[in-house]
This record gives sequence, structure tokens and C-alpha cells, in this order.
Amino acid sequence: MEISLTVNGTEHTTDVPDNSLLVEIIRERLNLTGTHVGCDTSQCGACTIHMNGRSVKSCTVLAGQADGADITTIEGIGTVDALHPMQEAFRENHALQCGFCTPGMIMSAIDLVEKGKPLDERSVREGLEGNLCRCTGYHNIVKAVLDAQDKM
Amino acid sequence: MTSETGIGASVKRKEDARFITGAGHYTDDINQPGQLYAVFVRSMYPRAEIRSIDVSSALAMEGVMAAYTGADLAADGIGDLPCGWMVKSKDGSDMIQPPHPPVAVSVVNYVGEPYAMVVAETLQAARDGAEAVTADFNEIPAVVDLASAHGADQIHEAVPGNQCYDWELGDREATDAAFASADHVTSLDIVNNRLIPNAMEPRAAVGMYEAATGNYTLYTTSQNPHLARLVLAAFVNVAAESKLRVIAPDVGGGFGSKIFVYAEETAVIWAAGKLARAIKWRADRSESFLADAHGRDHRTRAELALNADGTFVGLRVKTVANMGAYLSLFASSVPTYLYGTLLAGQYRTPAIYVEVQSVFTNTAPVDAYRGAGRPEATYVVERLVETAARELGKDPADIRRLNFIQPEDFPYETPVALTYDTGDYDASLKKAIELIGYDDFAERKASSEANGKKRGIGFSCYIEACGLAPSQVAISLGAGVGLFESAEVRVDVTGSVSVMTGCHSHGQGHETTFAQIVSDKLGIPFENVDVVHGDTGRSDYGLGTYGSRSLVVGGSAIVKATDKVIAKSRKIAAHMLESTEENVDFEEGTFSVTDSNQSITFPEVAFSAYVPGNYPLDELEPGLSEKAFYDPENFTYPAGAHICEVEVDPETGKVEIVNFVAVDDFGEIINPMIVAGQVHGGLAQGIGQALLEHGIYDESGQLVTGSYMDYTMPRADDMPNFVVDTTVTPCTHNPLGAKGCGEAGAIGSTAAVMNALTDALGVVDVPMPATPETVWRAMEGE
Amino acid sequence: MEDYARVVDRFVGFGGRTLEQSGQYRILAARAVVWDALNDADVLAACIEGCESVTKLSDHRFDANITAKLGPVKTKFKATIEVSDRNPPESYSLEVSVKGGMQGFGKGRAEVELAEDQNATLLSYRVEGNVGGKLAQMGSRLITAAGRKMADGFFSRFSERWADTI
Repeated sequence: MEISLTVNGTEHTTDVPDNSLLVEIIRERLNLTGTHVGCDTSQCGACTIHMNGRSVKSCTVLAGQADGADITTIEGIGTVDALHPMQEAFRENHALQCGFCTPGMIMSAIDLVEKGKPLDERSVREGLEGNLCRCTGYHNIVKAVLDAQDKM
Repeated sequence: MTSETGIGASVKRKEDARFITGAGHYTDDINQPGQLYAVFVRSMYPRAEIRSIDVSSALAMEGVMAAYTGADLAADGIGDLPCGWMVKSKDGSDMIQPPHPPVAVSVVNYVGEPYAMVVAETLQAARDGAEAVTADFNEIPAVVDLASAHGADQIHEAVPGNQCYDWELGDREATDAAFASADHVTSLDIVNNRLIPNAMEPRAAVGMYEAATGNYTLYTTSQNPHLARLVLAAFVNVAAESKLRVIAPDVGGGFGSKIFVYAEETAVIWAAGKLARAIKWRADRSESFLADAHGRDHRTRAELALNADGTFVGLRVKTVANMGAYLSLFASSVPTYLYGTLLAGQYRTPAIYVEVQSVFTNTAPVDAYRGAGRPEATYVVERLVETAARELGKDPADIRRLNFIQPEDFPYETPVALTYDTGDYDASLKKAIELIGYDDFAERKASSEANGKKRGIGFSCYIEACGLAPSQVAISLGAGVGLFESAEVRVDVTGSVSVMTGCHSHGQGHETTFAQIVSDKLGIPFENVDVVHGDTGRSDYGLGTYGSRSLVVGGSAIVKATDKVIAKSRKIAAHMLESTEENVDFEEGTFSVTDSNQSITFPEVAFSAYVPGNYPLDELEPGLSEKAFYDPENFTYPAGAHICEVEVDPETGKVEIVNFVAVDDFGEIINPMIVAGQVHGGLAQGIGQALLEHGIYDESGQLVTGSYMDYTMPRADDMPNFVVDTTVTPCTHNPLGAKGCGEAGAIGSTAAVMNALTDALGVVDVPMPATPETVWRAMEGE
Repeated sequence: MEDYARVVDRFVGFGGRTLEQSGQYRILAARAVVWDALNDADVLAACIEGCESVTKLSDHRFDANITAKLGPVKTKFKATIEVSDRNPPESYSLEVSVKGGMQGFGKGRAEVELAEDQNATLLSYRVEGNVGGKLAQMGSRLITAAGRKMADGFFSRFSERWADTI
């Protein structure tokens, strides 16, 4: 099937197998490999992106469902020279180690702040429940999100 | 300049720029032109004889390029996956290592063991092809239960009683005598639950082969690419070391599970040679659950003998350790040299005796997982000590203080083969007690009780042996490799520096920490130092990253190489300044002649080394690049005090960690921010073991916690905020004075949580993980 | 110390076996009629949820193709049913073996007894079984529940065939 979608501001029209997942299109067709695959049961959140302004796990979305959608991935929120405040906060607070969960974590955290202000420690922890991190023990991630919300 | 980015500064990490922008390069992000995809066909049976495998329908499918079985690999001379550490039994006999073909040939021995591999043009075609492979199995009842595995139906022909070895350490007679004359004996039966590592990046491999040169390149998710190359070359016979380049690019966490050489990368690189095409494989998470090496899984009977005043006089430990179905790369060393040797803990216990039987079961192989043996040892010692304090009516802090090895006792030789170089255990305990507010605990407990909650506090004063390892000691104890580390400090013409290390960073932040060391020592900007790791084509050699060794061993090698650079630079500078080496000082990047105003900068010296106009060519070679190998004299001994406070809801059995303090002595610290992060992560894994995580096989041998729906990973709302702090006694035998910090969190915390929980409930033991149901049953007296 | 089996039991569910289920139905038909139905491939096919076909190969062997959603996994299964301890018209045992390709497998045994109860028949069954492979790995508790539901669904539908008769 042919689908059109806007990814990080650029429109793409592509022919995809009916059963392909959005994450496969993002990683393999568009070569945006910042969106990661960490599980096969939609539990880990490493593939989190924004679809029409809301965070979704891109492994739970069929490519066909994203036809016409506006997609933002980690590559689309900031650059090394002009970081998004959430990216900046992750670096400043040492909220990442191996970096594998980080793109999904940042995308979830941005959505959480955008819809959930004001957040406190508890609500950040609950809001990030769908994203697994094995390195940080979440301590600095929570700190980073609270830090970023003041700057967003 | 160096004060903000040098040794001791919390410099923000160099590696973060790529990770926060999605620009990291993990193995699955790497694609090669014309690449094929591999899918493994895995056993659904815990134990079965393979009567036949039929790959013909798979081969007939569109897009399928090849389908291989274990027999194909064997026929091509591909060897077994080895275990790199020979442990000897009490009677002096060698451990028994059963054959471990990368792809099963005649039997399968755990659910998830691969018995065929299908390679196809697309991932989907490879999956369809794998589905089309049929096999005729003769199922055999599996050996699953660790307690009865020894003496159960024999799994491997070569291994009677399923026993790999029966090892001992310490003085049995002296220990028995101590028990015979002791006033009190505290005994515990302890189960250390099986864990599944779950680095967030699943394992992956991309294998490539160039027929014209015979060169192989393997991208793989490895903590130690040089070791992977050695094993694949020397043991598995894929190719000569010189023809095989192993690259571990960005790796998304390891925690031990990516130390080992597994079936999949072995088969992938071999098949890449057969087909002369690049081949990619990436594990699904369910494959990670089944086929990554698991951790822990001990059953232990432990006894502590004390005098009436609380002085420890003897410790006796008997452990059965699960090896799983085959010996993974370092499996044999974990419950022996990384466990039995740590049973002295922080205490002057004069007599210790430990026996460990390692047995095979029809489960996934078990090997090192964060801490590897040391968390198990700490759990035994610290649960015993806390229980003894309760039985004798002593304060848990007091009984520890009474038995601590004192600062003046160092170097201290333990009864279990280690010599601790330095430490001040009471300093950490004292600080931890202050930070948690131990003196006010009774008030907090009373206020919890007023709210219908049960509150408890628990201590854990752990020790670990890190910085693996003095090569000669390790080799004399059975290690198959040296455990030194290499480094190269390559100064460019313009004075920028590349640092090559054999350690590998998969979250630890070496690119930052190592750059801090070099920039500090050379007095050049932090930004001008790049750290290169994870590529056998770019760094000489190395043993990789595990056992909290990178800074201690790898960092020391870097210091050594940097010192060589400085020594040569000093000679060049002396020539340029028309002085002598002895009269040239080096400080903050500038060489100056003593008591004069003549000076020259490090970049100027570097330039002169490569453009040797004014240069002592008769004495010195041009260029400025130095290598060093560093072999440690001893292990390092990080130690600390963790105190946990829990609140239990008696209605539901839910345990909440309301306070957690970790005070650790890691010796000198290069980057405090990174060190605190390492502790946080370790604590989450240790707390996860205590309260959440459990790898369970059902009685038939099926893994029933094989997804994130059933294996409880710690999530953000399961974890508390941590209070972490440090004390410092510098390591006495490495140039950085550092001890290593990577595993401490996972080593100390588990016992602290369970000591707090048993204190809250007023019971002797609760099995881990202490899920709400388990706790509720413990309260009901079940 | 808790023994391992108990920990597993608690995790896997009630009873300890991966799947254990029994039940009794009063069927408004004569025992001989019920017995014949229990051996009729078409009747069996109609009573198995998601069953696409049942082929009777002999008095002792049926093959079935079933599409079932077990927990998170929807897949096609091939089942073979071997009849043993055949004692018409009172009882038989079924050895059921189910293969779901890469999704895993299931094995079970069902014992069925028919007793006369005035002009109706009392059907009692006892099923035990377990699953392997991905079925066990991915949410075995869900799958156990689904398996129980399937077993009971079968006998419940079977009984309902005669709900309006006599």
C-alpha cells in the first residue's frame, strides 16, 4: 500500500507492505535510526515518537495507520547546536548512560511535560512508567524532566 | 582550564551529544549493501534428542539463500563455544566441560537453544523460512530444579550427577573447630534468585566477508571485542585473528550479558564467509530472555559462629550454583573465585570455609551479571550478620563495628585468599547512618505504625574485589586469558590527542572520563582529546569492560602511556629549550626551564616531533605516540555501607522503599557525576532483585517469565530517589588511586532491602523477589 | 525455605500444573447418543472454538486445524487427538497434541466419563496439560486462562446441543 506521511517536517510518499509497522518505516525506509526497538511486546518504550503531537510507541502503529500523519522523531526535535530543552536537561543531569532508551524516553518526557504541567517527582515517575531504562535507576531522568519543565 | 574538566570534575559527557539527538550507531543501525538477514530456529523443548532436521522447504522459499544446521557448522570445522576459566574440584580434578556446539547438533538442552539458522534476502523471508524448518525431536524429561539437579537424570554424557565441579576454599578444620567452641550459631537457608540481565539493546551482529582479501569484519554487541576475536579465532576457528576485525560500536548496556561469545554472532560471521555476503541478525526481546546468559541462581546454607559479645569466630557456607545447560564463557569463575573469596566481607572472621557445587540443568546458561558472585557473597554475609545481631539482641551497626577490619589492619589477608589493600569501613557506615538519620528511626517507625504501616531498616556493608585482575593470579587460578589492559596515546601534529583503549564503554562514559585523565595530565583542552574504543582494528589489544575494571586497569594503562608521552616530550622540550631533562618542568601543558622564563607548550613540542627540524634525531625517533600495557598488582577493594528503610502495607503486602542511602569508597574519583550515575543504576538492579525480578522455569523446563509482561523490570515508579555519597581511601597500588564503581550498587543494595523488609515484618527470611503476594504470605505466617 | 515447586506453582497459577480443569454437565440425551456424538468429527468440529476442520482418521485418531487467540498470540494450530482407554459407551481418554509452529506447542490429556442419569447423561471431564515455547514464554498465565476457557467452552457447547431435546 502507498502511504504519505510527514516526518520531521519532510513529506514522504512510500509503498509499504500492509503488515509493516511504523517503526520499521522510520528505521528502515527513512533511515532515522534514532528510534530504537527494544522489545516485541510494546512494553519498553524505546520506539516512542510523536504522532500528530502525541507520544506513541511506533511499534504498536501499523504504517497504514500513519497515512497522513505528522510524525516527529528524536532527530526532529533539536540539533547538537540547538538542543530541545529536554535534550539539554538530559545531558545536564546525566540522565542517560548507554543511550539506547534515551530517544524514546525524551520523546515520552516531552509529551508528559507538554500535557501534564506542573509535574512533581511522583507524577514524572508515573508518567514515564511505559519507558524502561536499565542503566540510570531513573533517578537522574526524573531530575532532568523536572528541570526541563521549567524551561519548556 | 583543567580545573573544570580535569580529574575530579563532573564534566558533562562527550558521548551524550549523539545519544540525545538519535545519532548513536548501535549494531542494528548499521546496514551494509546487499545485506542478508539471519533468523535462528530455536528449541521449544527443554531437552530433546534431535532425530532429524529438514530444511528443504525453507530452502525452496522465495528469498531464502541458505539454511544451516549445527552439523553444517561442525562439518566446516567450527568448534565448540569454550569456557575460559578452569576450576578444579576439591579432589584436584578438573571441572567437566560438556560439548557446547554453537548450533545444536544431536541434542537440545534448553528452551531457546538454536538448532538451525535461515539466511534470506529480507527479514520477513528469513522469518518465513525459519517457520518452514521442521525437525523431529524425541523429548526427554528435563532437569529443572536446582535443589535436586545433582543426582537427577544425567544431562550430558560426560557429566555424572550433572556436577560440573565441587569446589572448596578456606580451612575446614579450623572453621569446624571455631563452630564447636562458639557461643552462638546463626544459620540461614538462602535462595539467590535467577535474574535475566535485560540490557535495553537486544544483542545483534552484522557479519561481513571480503573474498578477495579473506578479511572478516564483525559488528557485534560486545563488552570486549578483542576477547570475542580471540575466541572466534582460536577456539571456534572462524578465521585467523589477523583476518578478523571485531567492532563493538555503540552498545546499549551490557551488565555482563555481552561479555560472552554466543552462538548467534559465531554463526553469523561464519555464514557471511560461506555466502560472501553481509548478514545481519538482531535478537527479538523474547530471544534475549531465552538465550542471553542469565545471572545468580544459587541455593545456600550459611552459618555464622559468634562469641556471646558478638565477635565473629567462624563462617561456613555451602552453595549449589546453577550453570544452566552449558558452561558460558566465564560461568565457572562466578560462584567460585568471584564469590567464595569475598565471604570475609568487611570483617575479621578468622576461620571461613566454603564449598560450592556447580550443577547443570536444562535451563539457559548462567554467567556473570552485574556484580557476578559478589552480590551473592554479600547477600550471604550481610543477611547472616543482620540475623545474628537480631538473635543476640545487638544493634546491627554495633555488631558490624565490633567486627570490622580496622584501618590499621591493612594490608589485611583474609582466610579466603585475598589481601585487601586499604579501607575505612566505619567511615562509610558512620556517614550512611548520619545521612539516613538512624537515631530518629524509632520515631519514624512509630509514625508509620500510627498510619497502619510496618517500617523496617536494614544495613549492608559490602566489599567487592574489582579491577580484574592480576594476570598471574588469575591464570594460576584457572583463567585462560591475561587480564591486563592496553592503551595508546597518539598525539597528532597539531597537538590534539587520540586515546585508544581496549576497554569498551556501553554506558560507563569512558569517552569522558578517560579524556579527563589525559587532558588533565597533558594540560591540553578536554575537547582536544578523543577516546577510541570497541574496535580491534584501531586499538592494539584489550580485555574489555566488566568487573569494574575499566578505570582501574584501562585507566591505569592510559596513565602509563600518557606518562611515556610526557617523558618523551620532556626530552624534546629540553632539546628545544637548550636545557637538560632534569631542568625542565612540566605543568599545565607547558614545559619550562627551572628558574628561568624560557618555556614551550605541549602542542609546540608535538609539532616539533612530527616536523623535526629542531629535534634530537640522533637520540629520539620522530613522532609522538606511546603505548602501554598495565597489569595490576592486586584486585581493588571498593567497599561501602548501604542502608535501606522500607514501609510495608500490611493490607496488600506492598513494599515501598522510603529511604535509601549508599555511601561508597571507590578510592579517588575522576568524574563524580558519572560515578553517582553508576551507583544509581546498580541500586535499581539490586533493588529489582530484592523486590521485582525473577527468571522462572516451570517444572517442565519452559521459561514462563519470558517477556516484559511476566518478568518485572524496575520501572520509574518502582524506584525511590537515592541518597548517594562517598568516602575515600585511595587504592594503594594503581596510579589513579581508584577502585572501580560499576557494580557496587548492585552488590550492596539487595541485602539492605531484605534486611529492612525482614526487620519490618519481624521474620527471619522472605524469599526474593519480595512481591506483594510473597510479603503478604510471609505476614500470614505461610 | 520455600521449595522451588511452590514458587513456580504460585507464579504459574492455582494448582501447580500449567493447566488443570474439570467439570460436569448434565446432557439431555441418552448415553449412547452422547457417545456417538463424542466420536463424530463434525460434532467435535462444531464444538471447538475457532475450529476450521476435524478429520477422523480412525476410531482412535482425529486431526484438527484450529485458529485460536491465546493471550496475545493469535495463531493457527494443528492438533492431533489420539483416543485411548476406549470403553464405549462409558469413557475414553484423549491425548491431545497441539503444534503452533514457531509459536509453540501444547500437550494435554482429557478423561471423559459418561454416566446414565435417568433419561439424561452425566458427562464428567478432567483435563490437564501444559504449553511450551513462545506460548509458555509470553504471558503463560493468560494462556492458561485461555486454555481453561477453551476446555470448558468445548464441553459446554457440546452439552448445549441437546439443551432443547427430550
